[in-house]
Amino acid sequence: MSFSTILSAAIQGLHVDMIHVEADVSNGLPVFHMVGYLSSEVREASERVRTAIHNSGFQIPAKKMVVNLAPATVRKKGASFDLPIALAILSSMGIFPGEELRETLVIGELSLDGSIKEVPGILPIVMQAKEEGCRRCIIPRQNVREGALVRGMEIIGAEHLKEICRYLNQEEELEAVTGGMQEGLQDIQEKEALDYSDIKGQEAVKRAMEVAVAGGHNLLLIGPPGSGKTMMARRVPTILPPPALEESIEITKIYSILGMVDKERPLITGRPFRSVHHTVTKTALAGGGMIPVPGEISLAHGGVLFLDELAEFQKPVLEVLRQPLEERQIRITRALGNFVFPADFILICAMNPCPCGNYPDYNRCTCTPVKIQQYLSRVSQPFLDRIDICVEAPRLEYEALTDGGGQESSAKIRGRVCAARKVQQKRYEGRRILTNSVLGVNELKEFCHLGKDEEALMRQAFGALGLTARTYHKILKVARTIADLDGSERIRQQHLKEAIGYRTMDKKYWR
Amino acid sequence: MRYEYWLAAIPILTDRKKRLLREEYGDAKAVYYIEEIQLRFLDYLEEREVEAILRAKKTKDVEKEWERLADQNIRFVPYYDEEYPKRLLQTADPPYALYVKGSLPREEGASAAIVGARKCTPYGEQLALEYGEYLASNGVQIISGMAKGVDGAGQRGALNGGGRTYGILGCGVDICYPREHIGLYMDIQASGGVISEKPPGCQPLPMYFPARNRIISGLSDVLLVMEARQRSGSLITADLALEQGKEVYALPGPVTSQLSIGCHQLIRQGAGILISPEELLADLGIRNRSTEHKAEQKSDKIEKTLENHENVVYSCLGLFPKGLDQLTAETGLGARELLDGLISLELKGSIREISKNYYIRVR
Repeated sequence: MSFSTILSAAIQGLHVDMIHVEADVSNGLPVFHMVGYLSSEVREASERVRTAIHNSGFQIPAKKMVVNLAPATVRKKGASFDLPIALAILSSMGIFPGEELRETLVIGELSLDGSIKEVPGILPIVMQAKEEGCRRCIIPRQNVREGALVRGMEIIGAEHLKEICRYLNQEEELEAVTGGMQEGLQDIQEKEALDYSDIKGQEAVKRAMEVAVAGGHNLLLIGPPGSGKTMMARRVPTILPPPALEESIEITKIYSILGMVDKERPLITGRPFRSVHHTVTKTALAGGGMIPVPGEISLAHGGVLFLDELAEFQKPVLEVLRQPLEERQIRITRALGNFVFPADFILICAMNPCPCGNYPDYNRCTCTPVKIQQYLSRVSQPFLDRIDICVEAPRLEYEALTDGGGQESSAKIRGRVCAARKVQQKRYEGRRILTNSVLGVNELKEFCHLGKDEEALMRQAFGALGLTARTYHKILKVARTIADLDGSERIRQQHLKEAIGYRTMDKKYWR
Repeated sequence: MRYEYWLAAIPILTDRKKRLLREEYGDAKAVYYIEEIQLRFLDYLEEREVEAILRAKKTKDVEKEWERLADQNIRFVPYYDEEYPKRLLQTADPPYALYVKGSLPREEGASAAIVGARKCTPYGEQLALEYGEYLASNGVQIISGMAKGVDGAGQRGALNGGGRTYGILGCGVDICYPREHIGLYMDIQASGGVISEKPPGCQPLPMYFPARNRIISGLSDVLLVMEARQRSGSLITADLALEQGKEVYALPGPVTSQLSIGCHQLIRQGAGILISPEELLADLGIRNRSTEHKAEQKSDKIEKTLENHENVVYSCLGLFPKGLDQLTAETGLGARELLDGLISLELKGSIREISKNYYIRVR
């Protein structure tokens, strides 16, 4: 009976810290001490662990037991240390040989009867374990599929504390799975039940979505309630290029930390679509907490963030989005340190043209000009500046709901989008640019060169439509994307004109 | 004169009684020095009116206010003044005095009032603009209330046409109401005037506006109602105009439009129908000064200069806004061609986007 140590891990933001769980059983007054910068749920582990050990048929000796979670400078949170603490104590008690647990990472929550319950964050933890040179991970059985996503790692799924002890004493075999990604990848295409061919009409909106996705532009839909804005936004992920494996894993990691992965098919192979209600708080949207957890914008990473009823959102909440929209990630600073979560998404917003939603149908709209102005000004100009494309979503007619034939399928649109993305990749090779939407002013000069006629058109537009410098740049970016979709090296007049049609309206035009 | 101003600015006391007092005592100075006992003795003054006069004597710093009038370039024109508009004197209830920034309408030459809904459609706004411009460029003075919507558009049109226009306010002339029309307010003072019967500093209260309407109709020879709902202030103005014996014209619109119901009612009651500004001008007996305003010809000319699918799009558009979906259905063009056509037209200034992707024809 003496000292033992077991490897476990804690999640800090998206980052994983390896934690050594040390236990020492020695002569002295019978106490159970836990140290190592613990939050209260970890502290409560002492009761769970002692009861679970007892209920697994082991006698707890009347001795002094000290558990330390090192390094002591890292804040520990969550119930996932239950299992390593229990095993460390059992090892110190000499129930099984301590060497058995070398190069093994252990994680899991204990129930009072000794059974092991699932925990979040398995994927990033197992990935980190592999990097640290572990060869085996003992994790809850429900999490096995998730852990098995990591290639070459031996995953042991356990259901009960007793089971593990017998396994470590080589009295019983537990099924070991060696990780590989193949399993998760098989059924990529299967899940996409949504398709653009379900929507009849709305050609302009579909086209705008295609352009938005092709260039990674943010999109604002303006239309009356019930015009199918949500329905169409939901289908945007189906025309995004399918994520590459690394991207899938990156997305899955975020979902894993929040415990949101599917137990059976853990790997997220589609693009996420996150629809956020307008009552959302700043923290829920951006991520936060004492040890910050990712928010909605990170859950939408690699996919689509959809804000319906944009004008109903609280202004401070929307302003939170400004920085991530520029930087494609969010940096949250707390006393504990800096946390960076990825937040590279396409923003799709929807709003009504006026409070009642019927403007400019003068027979139905009951809003005064002042009211409309107030309603529209709830969305700030700096926020609108980050939206490149704005298009009207008309009311759906009855035929559109009943007849669904002869429409272009998502796969076809996705084909065009992928081609346009390839063009962009090639053009921006060696730069930190992936899509047209992130072009800066200098890059615009380089890549969006206009011919003489096009220049004249823009000059005319500048005067006739009262464009601002910012709108001008946005039009250029969108025109670049439209040209890419066309497979055209140069931006031509028709590309510019279409882009002008998608411009976000400046305040003064909104009566 | 400052005593005259003092009398004119007394609240509660009606214009009629102010006139009675002034005529009985000769001038306002005499009214100012009437003893309290004597005032109470006058049988046409009620108790509260006497109180109002006494209060005005005590509290009003007439000197100071009079100076302020001069500082703000506000002219005070009481009803017996030579400058006071003759048109108003012929009405049943002329205001006791007018406050003017800028000038008063001229006695010679025709004047037309353009009124209508504040919350109007682009149709009403556009036509108010056109009528205002055409009439003003032919020397007709445009009278209106400077309100949002039709009123403002009519006056803006008059300014565009290089003519004179007069804004009749329901508040003091030193207050710009609505605030958004500050540009219009300044421009009107430069080529016409802002007029009110309320003393400076008087806030715009809803109850002042119907009374304001009688001045609008009173100052004009004809009243043009561009758009009005079934129950609307413009119809009150039209009634007042009829009582004052003025011609009333109404602009017809689609029978389905809520905002044309009032106009159609007027037409049924016998109002003139506005078919074109040219016809109206002929009705007024004024010779046309310019020939460039032939609306139909102009529109034809535009259509000829447009490219083929721009032409298709243009012909589908009118003054009632249409969205992309409706236009797709009507033109049979794809989303991209349609947008291409729309933007070309917008850049040429032939159409205008009034809400996101809703377009109207401008000319």
